[in-house]
Amino acid sequence: MADSERSGLGVFFANLKEAPQRVLRSLFRSGPPATDRSRSSFVFDNVFLHIHAVRTHRWSLRWATTWGLGVASAAAFLIALATGVLLMFYYKPYPEVAYDSIKDIHFVVPTGRFIRNLHRWAANVMVVVVFLHMARTFYTAGYRSPREFNWLIGLGLLVTTLGLSFTGYLLPWDQLAYWAITIGANIAQSPQELTDAVGITEYFDPGGLQRELLLGSDVVGADALIRFYLLHVMVLPLLFVALLAAHIWRVRKDGGLARPADADDRLGPPPPDTYPVFTETPQKTYHLAAIVEGRTPAVDQSPENTVPSMPHLFYAEMGVLMVTLLVCLLLALSFDAPLKELANPMVPENPAKAPWYFLGLQELVAYSAFMGGVGIPTLVIIGLGLIPYLDRETRGTGEWFGGPGGGRLVWHSTVIGLAAAVGIAAFAIYFGWLREWFPDIPQLVITFVNPGTILAAFYAAYSLYLVRRYNSTRAGALGLFTCFLCGFVVLTVIGWYFRGPNWDFYWSPADWPAH
Amino acid sequence: MNKNKHLLLWSSLAVLALLVAAAVEENYLKEWRRIQQSMAVEGEPIDVRLRQIVIPELGTTDRCVTCHVGMAPGEMALAAEGTGLAAPHPFVWHDPAEFGCTTCHGGQGLATETADAHGEVRHWPEPMLPGRFAYASCGSCHTHLGVPDFEQLDFGVRLLERHDCLACHAVDGRGGTTRPFAAAGIEAPDLSHVGLTGVDPYWYVHHLEHHELADEGPWKTSFAPIDPADLTALEAYLGTRVGAPGLVAAKSTFHTRGCYGCHQLGGVGGDEGPDLDRAGLMDPELLDFSEVPGERTVANWLATHLHHPAALVDGSQMPAMGLSDEEIELLTFYMLSLRREERTAAFTPNDRLEAERFGAREFTTDGPTLYAAFCSACHGAEGQGRRYPDAIPFPSVANADFLAVASDGFLRETLRRGRLGRRMPAFAADQVGLTDEEIDTVIAYLRHLAGDVPAPPEPAQFRWVEADAALGETLYRQHCASCHGAEGDGPEAPALDHPTFLETADDSYLVDTITRGRSGTPMHGFGSGTPAFPALAAEEIEAIVSHLRTWQEE
Repeated sequence: MADSERSGLGVFFANLKEAPQRVLRSLFRSGPPATDRSRSSFVFDNVFLHIHAVRTHRWSLRWATTWGLGVASAAAFLIALATGVLLMFYYKPYPEVAYDSIKDIHFVVPTGRFIRNLHRWAANVMVVVVFLHMARTFYTAGYRSPREFNWLIGLGLLVTTLGLSFTGYLLPWDQLAYWAITIGANIAQSPQELTDAVGITEYFDPGGLQRELLLGSDVVGADALIRFYLLHVMVLPLLFVALLAAHIWRVRKDGGLARPADADDRLGPPPPDTYPVFTETPQKTYHLAAIVEGRTPAVDQSPENTVPSMPHLFYAEMGVLMVTLLVCLLLALSFDAPLKELANPMVPENPAKAPWYFLGLQELVAYSAFMGGVGIPTLVIIGLGLIPYLDRETRGTGEWFGGPGGGRLVWHSTVIGLAAAVGIAAFAIYFGWLREWFPDIPQLVITFVNPGTILAAFYAAYSLYLVRRYNSTRAGALGLFTCFLCGFVVLTVIGWYFRGPNWDFYWSPADWPAH
Repeated sequence: MNKNKHLLLWSSLAVLALLVAAAVEENYLKEWRRIQQSMAVEGEPIDVRLRQIVIPELGTTDRCVTCHVGMAPGEMALAAEGTGLAAPHPFVWHDPAEFGCTTCHGGQGLATETADAHGEVRHWPEPMLPGRFAYASCGSCHTHLGVPDFEQLDFGVRLLERHDCLACHAVDGRGGTTRPFAAAGIEAPDLSHVGLTGVDPYWYVHHLEHHELADEGPWKTSFAPIDPADLTALEAYLGTRVGAPGLVAAKSTFHTRGCYGCHQLGGVGGDEGPDLDRAGLMDPELLDFSEVPGERTVANWLATHLHHPAALVDGSQMPAMGLSDEEIELLTFYMLSLRREERTAAFTPNDRLEAERFGAREFTTDGPTLYAAFCSACHGAEGQGRRYPDAIPFPSVANADFLAVASDGFLRETLRRGRLGRRMPAFAADQVGLTDEEIDTVIAYLRHLAGDVPAPPEPAQFRWVEADAALGETLYRQHCASCHGAEGDGPEAPALDHPTFLETADDSYLVDTITRGRSGTPMHGFGSGTPAFPALAAEEIEAIVSHLRTWQEE
């Protein structure tokens, strides 16, 4: 009615004046996040934020609970995603042309070198942080019921992360890439050791099939490059995003992060300067979350130790994101991503080394291709996947090194795990192995009796001993996981630093014979 | 909870600062921008942008001109007054605008930073050629320039001097000070590139006419009739003047030191040593520099290697050739030039197209050059034989005693088939790659070297000796075994049990050789005795031959 009294032009200008406010209101329909209710709406009215709970337990926000490792993994992924899309504008996935396009990115594309460095470092940071995130979840027993399946999704994310990194390794098409992928493809082919030994490769050749599926051809060539490219920029990122969404969603559905049963008592009341905690008297709206099926953060608990996710959780998450970005930036500005000579199938790199996170496997492959390439990794993945289904205890959930034995057990296991790995590797390096002593020994014997399998068997036996000694599956798991980490680190360091040409042992790369 | 706020604030500020720093550094602090900003034409700053020469046919993208702006095509105004990086490229036959930069200079064309562009970084297999070897890159396309051995080349230089050609003509920067038509002031043509265009077939006739017409001046005093042999040599020499005198001298050194005996180049040569087709493109990363003094450059490695091959390459069969420093420098130069690339026809020199189609040689096919290129490393420059430490001595081949008894047929078969299993390769067309005519040229040259020894008639009867082999064995052990070995395997002298030798050497040759011996070698004649070595009777010599024949029948 009022409108009819004003001229059309007047209305137009009034609307124009109001437009910015209206855009804002249409964006945040629940108004500014000033009340408990609007803060909640801020989260669950937003398709992206809705993956979080609207309130977060204060235990989850302690730095020592997670050290932000999960968010840092996702942050590294986002950085790699953003820089990766930028690199795709210039990268050409065809042999030799690919190498030139990397040179162009390095030398000519504005900030190209910086973007590529950032991409490379984000990828490496991601691999490290994903491992650390897994270790954190394990040591705080975060995998326990009801979070078992999320642990499995996490394992899926770990494998996808390694896949993303490995497929990206080939793309520069330099000597480093070419021979690392050649090694990787040979690892994929390693089941042939077993089928050869049994004499059935001719009829049943899963190793050869794996290699061919990976490379799309007999050699690392144009087919392998386009395959790796497609996996790297399309298939694996989509898979990763899908798994990541499920992973984070499940954190919410499983009741937030695992915390000790007495977390509220330990935390005490929130510090007086914490704002906002509760700005309103609880009303019926507060129990809205309770209608969602499953355990929710608010069920059967006093609300005092939760704080609104907006802003508390988001400050923390953004902070971790920024710190991750900062670390990647510092690395990117300090160290250039490597680019060696153009790939040359006629000149093998010696030693040809796989990407660093596979060097432990490569060391195992040096003992036995099948065990290193398939046997032991499969056992490790199965073992990791089984942990939450075997450990049905509750003691120590949400606490670092929680469970029978605790930190002392982990400390002992570290010493034993390191000593065993270093010991068996040193033994094999100094005294050789069965092949050197009995040149005619059947390969099958070496496949099953080699430093890698002996180490794995020792770790398994030690873990069973712990189960018995502490009368607890968790104790065995703590021992086994710690040993697994120690073995991984020792073998990776040996493969990375102490192995030279022909995979011979050297105290330092400076001692490598020239060539 | 405030902790997280601070975390977010400070990390965000740090990220922002680093991003700004990176953006500034990556975009504004580039070396080449500073270089271009400092350049100006008539006070006007030049357009600061990336410059490059792209030659798709050669597969090059050369950004060298981003810093060496004066050499960029179209930068005439800058180049006109420029010095340093603004200076134009000196005149060269191949315009950089058409051939790019790295085609000749090596280095990394894609790079835009000094060390990377000059290839002085790790992981770039083709660093820039050092200035003194710059012309080595000609070898990537110009592989087929027929070059004689060093002596003939040197002879050409001396002919130019002797016939006073340098009075009027400049050749490779020497001479050319006198004007032949003093009044008209016309300069005589510079002959440094005459090999590219071909020598005018009528030049001598014209010169002679002028000489006869002139009363005074250089036509009268400097020019004089030239005898036909010198004329041929002079024209051959001028044919090698292609604007790269250093490279031609380097190549001719290679042809002089008998390298083809063991090394293959363009499909011709022995296979004892490595194929050298792309020896100039060795990746410095793959070479062992632990024993190489000085910088880690391929040139230094090559020079050290030529000096003493086995010191750098374990188990190398190549002897230390006793090369002079100058020869090592030239051979290093030539090795660096061995970088043949396959190019499209438009970028392949005509002589190479022709040579590849008709099988022309990369060396001239006269006797001296053929002998020097294929034989001299082992048999010596004068055919006197040679002995390297730790190796079986190589026989003297330009030896009058030897050539007087060895028929051309025997020599031809020996050259064609070589000595399988010993160092002497089979030089036949399907092996080392010499044609029958070339082998005959070498034989004729050997006879010339030894003092024009006439060829003995071809043997009427190949096998005629019938003597007591048992007696022969005794005599062999007594007189021959110390050098030729108890079983004739020749640790110190030619192998007598070699099947090819026994198959191609006729009885007369064997008897005559034993009788005459070879002067200048430890092989003395058994026909006439000395106090230390009593003579053998004809029957005894035949008995030895019979003994040798027993090896053939085994």
